[in-house]
Amino acid sequence: MSVLRVCALAQSLSRRSLLEKCALRGYSADCCRLCASLRSGAVRRISETPLQLQRRNVSFVIPKTEAAKKRVLEQSQLFDVLDARIQQLQTDIALNIQHAEVQVVKAGSSGRGASSSRGPKSTSKEKIVILQSGAKGTSKPQQSRWIEKLALEKNAKSKKSKSSSQVLPGTSHKTISTAAKKTKPAIKTDRGGTKLSDKSHAVVYSKAASTASTAHNVSKGKWKDSQNQHHGEKEQNLTDNDAHSKAMELAEVEKLERRPSQQANMWTSCRVPETVDSEERASGDMQMSIRSYLEACVFAGDIERASHFLLSQHRVIRRRKLMNTDIYNILMRVWAKKCLLHQIGRIFILLEEAGLKPNLGSYCAALECMGRSPSCTPKVVTRCLNQMQQDGLSVDDMFSQCVFRQDEKDMVLKAMRIVQPDYQPCLKLTTNEGYTSLVQDFYTQRNDHHYPKLDFTQEKLLDGFKRQLDVEQACTVTINSVEADKPVTANMAKMRALLAMQRAQWQKSLLQALRETKTILASTNTKDYKFNLYPYLCVLEDREYVDIMIQSVANLPPSGDSLKIIAGDLGNRVYTKYSVRQKHQNQMVEKLSKIYCSYTDLLAKDTKEYDVLPREQWCNLEMELTSGPMLQGGETSWPYIVTLDLGTCLVDMMVKSLKINSDILNPAQERKRIPILYHMYTFRSIRQIGFIKIHPILSQMQQEAMETKLTFDSSVMPMLCPPVPWTSMKFGAYLLTPAKLMRTVDGAVQHEALLEKCQNLHAVLDSLNQLGSCAWRINKPLLDIIISIFNDRGNDKLDVPPPLSEAPKAPHFNPQDPNHTSSEKAHLKREVIMAKKKYTEMHSLRMDALYKLSIANHMRDDIFWFPHNMDFRGRTYPCPPHFNHLGSDVTRAILLFAEGKPLGPKGLDWLKIHLVNLTGLKKRSSLQGRLEYANTIMEDILDSADNPLNGKKWWMNADEPWQALACCMEIATAVRSPDPAQFISNFPVHQDGSCNGLQHYAALGRDVIGATSVNLMPCDMPQDVYSGVAQQVEEFRAEDAASGVKIAKVLDGFISRKVVKQTVMTVVYGVTRYGGRLQIEKRLKEIDEFPKEHVWDASHYLVRLVFTGLKEMFTGTREIQDWLTESARLISKSGHTVEWVTPLGLPVIQPYHRTRNQMMKSSMQHINLKINYDIKERPDTVKQKNAFPPNFIHSLDSTHMMLTSLHCYSAGLTFVSVHDCFWTHALTVDTMNKVCREQFVALHSQPILEDLSNFLLQKYCNRVQTEAKNKKYQEYRRLLLLLGKVPQTGDFDLEQVKESTYFFS
Amino acid sequence: MSIQIFRVVELVMRSACSNTIRSRSYMRKAGLAPVGPPGLCVPVLHRRAYSLDSLSSGPGRPTLGSSSQQPRTERTSPSAALAHRSLSAVAVQGQCRPMCQYDFLDVGQEEENVRRAMSCKKIRHFIVDPDLAKVVAQHIEPGLAKSIIFECNPGPGVLTRTLLNAGAQRIVALEEDKSFLHDLQELEGHLDGQLEVVHCDYFKLDPMGKGNPRPPTMFSDKLFTDLGISESSWTDDIPVKVVGILPQHNERGMLLRMAYALFERMSVYRYGRVELNLFMSEKEYLKLVSRPGSMFNYRAFTVLWQMSCDIDLLHKEPWESFVKSKQGASKRKGRLPNDHLCLVRLRPRADLFSDGLSPSNASTLLMMVKQCLAKRKVKLIDRLNVWSPDSGSRLLSELGMPLDILTGNVFPEEYLQLFQLMDKSKEFTQSWLYEEVLENTQREGWA
Repeated sequence: MSVLRVCALAQSLSRRSLLEKCALRGYSADCCRLCASLRSGAVRRISETPLQLQRRNVSFVIPKTEAAKKRVLEQSQLFDVLDARIQQLQTDIALNIQHAEVQVVKAGSSGRGASSSRGPKSTSKEKIVILQSGAKGTSKPQQSRWIEKLALEKNAKSKKSKSSSQVLPGTSHKTISTAAKKTKPAIKTDRGGTKLSDKSHAVVYSKAASTASTAHNVSKGKWKDSQNQHHGEKEQNLTDNDAHSKAMELAEVEKLERRPSQQANMWTSCRVPETVDSEERASGDMQMSIRSYLEACVFAGDIERASHFLLSQHRVIRRRKLMNTDIYNILMRVWAKKCLLHQIGRIFILLEEAGLKPNLGSYCAALECMGRSPSCTPKVVTRCLNQMQQDGLSVDDMFSQCVFRQDEKDMVLKAMRIVQPDYQPCLKLTTNEGYTSLVQDFYTQRNDHHYPKLDFTQEKLLDGFKRQLDVEQACTVTINSVEADKPVTANMAKMRALLAMQRAQWQKSLLQALRETKTILASTNTKDYKFNLYPYLCVLEDREYVDIMIQSVANLPPSGDSLKIIAGDLGNRVYTKYSVRQKHQNQMVEKLSKIYCSYTDLLAKDTKEYDVLPREQWCNLEMELTSGPMLQGGETSWPYIVTLDLGTCLVDMMVKSLKINSDILNPAQERKRIPILYHMYTFRSIRQIGFIKIHPILSQMQQEAMETKLTFDSSVMPMLCPPVPWTSMKFGAYLLTPAKLMRTVDGAVQHEALLEKCQNLHAVLDSLNQLGSCAWRINKPLLDIIISIFNDRGNDKLDVPPPLSEAPKAPHFNPQDPNHTSSEKAHLKREVIMAKKKYTEMHSLRMDALYKLSIANHMRDDIFWFPHNMDFRGRTYPCPPHFNHLGSDVTRAILLFAEGKPLGPKGLDWLKIHLVNLTGLKKRSSLQGRLEYANTIMEDILDSADNPLNGKKWWMNADEPWQALACCMEIATAVRSPDPAQFISNFPVHQDGSCNGLQHYAALGRDVIGATSVNLMPCDMPQDVYSGVAQQVEEFRAEDAASGVKIAKVLDGFISRKVVKQTVMTVVYGVTRYGGRLQIEKRLKEIDEFPKEHVWDASHYLVRLVFTGLKEMFTGTREIQDWLTESARLISKSGHTVEWVTPLGLPVIQPYHRTRNQMMKSSMQHINLKINYDIKERPDTVKQKNAFPPNFIHSLDSTHMMLTSLHCYSAGLTFVSVHDCFWTHALTVDTMNKVCREQFVALHSQPILEDLSNFLLQKYCNRVQTEAKNKKYQEYRRLLLLLGKVPQTGDFDLEQVKESTYFFS
Repeated sequence: MSIQIFRVVELVMRSACSNTIRSRSYMRKAGLAPVGPPGLCVPVLHRRAYSLDSLSSGPGRPTLGSSSQQPRTERTSPSAALAHRSLSAVAVQGQCRPMCQYDFLDVGQEEENVRRAMSCKKIRHFIVDPDLAKVVAQHIEPGLAKSIIFECNPGPGVLTRTLLNAGAQRIVALEEDKSFLHDLQELEGHLDGQLEVVHCDYFKLDPMGKGNPRPPTMFSDKLFTDLGISESSWTDDIPVKVVGILPQHNERGMLLRMAYALFERMSVYRYGRVELNLFMSEKEYLKLVSRPGSMFNYRAFTVLWQMSCDIDLLHKEPWESFVKSKQGASKRKGRLPNDHLCLVRLRPRADLFSDGLSPSNASTLLMMVKQCLAKRKVKLIDRLNVWSPDSGSRLLSELGMPLDILTGNVFPEEYLQLFQLMDKSKEFTQSWLYEEVLENTQREGWA
């Protein structure tokens, strides 16, 4: 510090001239003010004693946000103050570091990150604001002034409203009524006023600087004037129009406005507080960047760089504004580990300088440091504790809220015990409060609950845990592909050898390139405050980076991939590995093992019964085991742009240093070193996309070598032990590999922010845990059959992709050949292109199947689990991407429940019905009918089971052939067993919602006709919407054909349920005509007899008919859909993003915004990131409105699924879901069906639409509107009225669903 | 007169560029239709001998035999043009519509035309001002060449009538909006074959997708076959002149597409050297004619068009002179001035396909140019070495270019030479560059 000060002194001599120069050069006024503000701030800091300093800092934390809002109008006033200040200061000799340094920074202030590009304007403003509030000493007089003004305004208002007869001025005086909101509206109305009388205010404010009190009065007067004027205008308007109806409307508006606040809203508990200040959001990205940078430095042990970086960020005022206490705490932690108390003290000073308040984490580090030092006196600790108390922080909170790593907790305890030898932190247990009414009973009354146990011994579970831990520690798994069984030809052997040789070489050259890059990066430190990739290249061993890069070469498809994707992938791999290593360093693995070990007590079959849910058990265990690190490490995830930047850097290395001899395959060629990867561009319209491709020579080698090892990330594989239960947003699923609770687009953070604020997610978490707790195993006989077909020649009809050798040969033609006419050439060219496209498609399909089958094959003797997470609407998905039960027919068929249950009396029947369902044949028959049908074809079933490939092949004609075959086999073994009722079956039986989206719509609207057609109403026979629509469409078609429409005639006899099914199903989920046409086109193409030349016209024609048909059949649905759409449109037009909360309390936000372009600059290529999830941008109205109805319905169906899953768990069932398709054992189908119907009724018994309406009203309509902008007010009122007008419901009796057999069947 | 000033600037610029060489050789080879700087020469083979009339020889108006090299300094007065048309009609009376001797075609009330233009549902610009139409008509010189004129999206038909009045022999009006079709067809009925109206969008010719396109989308071969236009050799006279306004929403995409079609002789270019006379926004025009070294504006389409065509700015007209049917988003401010629509003539060079460039290998040239100019500030040698290792320095020294030249500093002609060299060398034909070409054309349409 002192050295710096000396430096600064040297520079101080030129201070005056610098300032003058500044002005002379004609910098903007902003700039001058910047200098001035900096100086005055700096000087003050020196002249004040530390004590005063602290007080000041504390005091201006509060007014900061308010100040920010009115800063625009106060700038002029400020300038005067500053002027005076400058004059005063110029006599002052003392000079300060900050000043000098900031001058330098200002010269080259082209920051790299996103928020730095926000420009100097905003930051300078901020500085002024800070300074200003500081300069005034405290903010108290200001605040009281606001309150006075408010009271005054209120008076004026009430007088006005009295005088203006029955016309209610609707908006502004309403919101003032709540005391809590007082200050805020005041500011807002003030803002509105300013616009009217801008000039006068400016004058007023400049005076205010010198003579505060008089100016105050003047401003009041002015304010009043503008108000009067205003009201006059408004009255005029109103009387001109039809005053009476207006008044009525206004009264209603008034009522609506009051509604949300009056109602004790069930969502208030989980209602998200007012959205964060925009500045705070803007800084989010940068904060994350700074944090992750520091953490990476610290992790790599480069503490010097970390502290240097922190200081440089601190010095640059623009950056300092973006910092928060947590960032400073990172370094405090480091010093605490090193037992350097004075360094921690320094950071406390920095915190004060930055105007931040130390938080629990800061004191925690300080205490830890004291605990570590062997000679810490009680006095020091007491002083620390006292200060903590002054800041209003409690030690107990520290223990319950802080994140402790390694032995930090023990050290802090030790420090505490220096002063209070018997100190024991009192921890609050998490309470079961704040459950939504839907699940209140579930959590409070557990007497009847029988939570299921897994069918394994504790020993077996722990064995699985160990294996899983090993896998995750290695981060990658290399497995044999299913093609390994093929014989090795000489050529293959040769190619494999060649490749292995090359790889060894590449490894060397990459290692060298990496080291060179690191050396260069380490030494380029021209501007300290800029980010540098260096620490990110140090978090792993060099060898690990190289392995990651080599692996990505092997995974590259022959047609290449865009740079953005490859780079993102590489970056993510590095991050995953880094966070696993981080957990190691924090000594989390040991603790995890301990807790997991006790946790298995709950799951294993050989232990006692528990009456708690897995999440609760895990939390309890964590609470009990206090010593050691916490499992929720609180690691910062890297910002997307950092991941991408790192990835690009690695790709650049690969492109530059990976080479191969050009004569490696053909010795006749001249030998050259050619790069194996090349960077080129492809063009879409006028956009250009950077692409990385493999050189044809290498891809040829790879193909001929047919290597049989596949390397996967550990997160791609199913888990070998039950997943860690989700206990919070940040912790769950895999043991070490980081997982997201909510799947989002890369870089989108608003969902996480929302979840973090949400207080009670327990029901959602428990449901995810339930889904993840299902153990699986492989259906080996079926897998073998599929692999045999896969390794033979594939089979398109059975959805087993054929190998590339089966691909159509591209016609070879010579463009110079004069025998072809130009149109022939064009045709040939087109064919070549088509062939290439087909080839790429086949390749990707084949690889996909190869991955799935190989993973399945690898797991063939294991029991495994799929950890689950969800998308932003709450729909759940298994985390492993390739092989899971959500997949295609093939993957579903090879999965079985690991646990078997006897079939019971009705199990066999359910199996048979399930089989018929899979064939898709008897959709309109009753269950009894299906069962009878199954009994009549028993011969075919048994034949299929015994001779799947050589028999009559009945199963191949089913809708889902592989699952049908698996079911045939299960039935065969069951009927042949001595007592089918005792037969232990592992086979999952599905129950499908019939057009689930429409079911929810029908239930929402209590629409009798709709409800009947989607089976909410008990009927003897299942109703089939799809057939209904097909029938309707056929009627239309017949009419058209009669009136001579050509295409209608062509379509005669081709309209079937299958053609329209997908479109009908997806219409509720917002499919457009465009997408609908594509779906129908696909179906028509599948019909061999249909003339191909008519496909396009016919699909066009049909999609139109389907849409009109649906409209006629579901009127109630459309009403709700329209209301949702219109609401979303108005909300989005008013500049907000549509948000809602599901009945289970999950907050949902639609991530559709106008795209913001962010450039990621690297030497190789600039990547333009089109970011459309940024809340700072205006919402994309079209997407917001189009997506709202489907997203809302999805959030409902996910809620229904979660409720079902929770109650199935308490009933002891095995339950998994594929969205609206529920799986369980044959024995428990009936129970599941009962739960499913009950929960549907329970869900829809909630006033869902009313609650939504209230929530939206409260969220978007409780703010003061400036009456000045009449148009705005009109829009606001329209929104208010619309949101308040929930669509009418019909008189369908919901309870009937409980009796409906075909609701889910 | 801003046009004049611009013309002068253009002349200076052109003489500074290497275009002159090219133009000269062009004249040598295709002596029939000499073109140099615009408006300097007059077609020798003039069909309209009867126009030798005192009335028609307005100042600067090209007349038979007077191969004056004087730049056109003044516009023909409207009356002269009208008279001109009338006379021509008289002269060919036998095959002419009956009413032509009485009157010229009335372009209609301006307010009415504006109203109709405004009623168009798409965002389009229209020429409604009769004077503007006359200026355009003069530049097209409808009465002079034997080329057919394709008028894209005539709308209310002001320009169509003006062109007819100026003596156009055969106009094909391609209108995409049904609402204008009726009136145009009515006009067609009154005339005797000078006007054909087709429901077609010139800028949507030859769609990429499969299926049967419905009007206004069409395949070019159908259009040309219906019109009875047959394929002609590249060096033949210009068969078709296209007049229109480039759709504003995708100007550059359109220009790229058309350039691809030209080089590969696909689409309309199968029928010969179709000349485009298009209004485009000033900023796209400035990019189109930008020269190497202007790193931001020098794009792939610049190179391709400059390589393949003589580019002339015929006229500049402020945006306000056009009627815009719908108010779209306001124009964003860019780096380039954009206050005008520029009428630009893109006349393909007759000698384009010589010296090793042919429509069949042109796709590689396209690919090469696009890859090079994706980034303008990279070294050309690096690109070349990526395509074929170690050959960059040899190629560059053969061309006499400095080894450290940036891709944005290479002239279009030099790219052509570079390609010709590459195409001859064996190394490059094995390069992946040749494979890429086929893959990427699919994205650009023009089957």
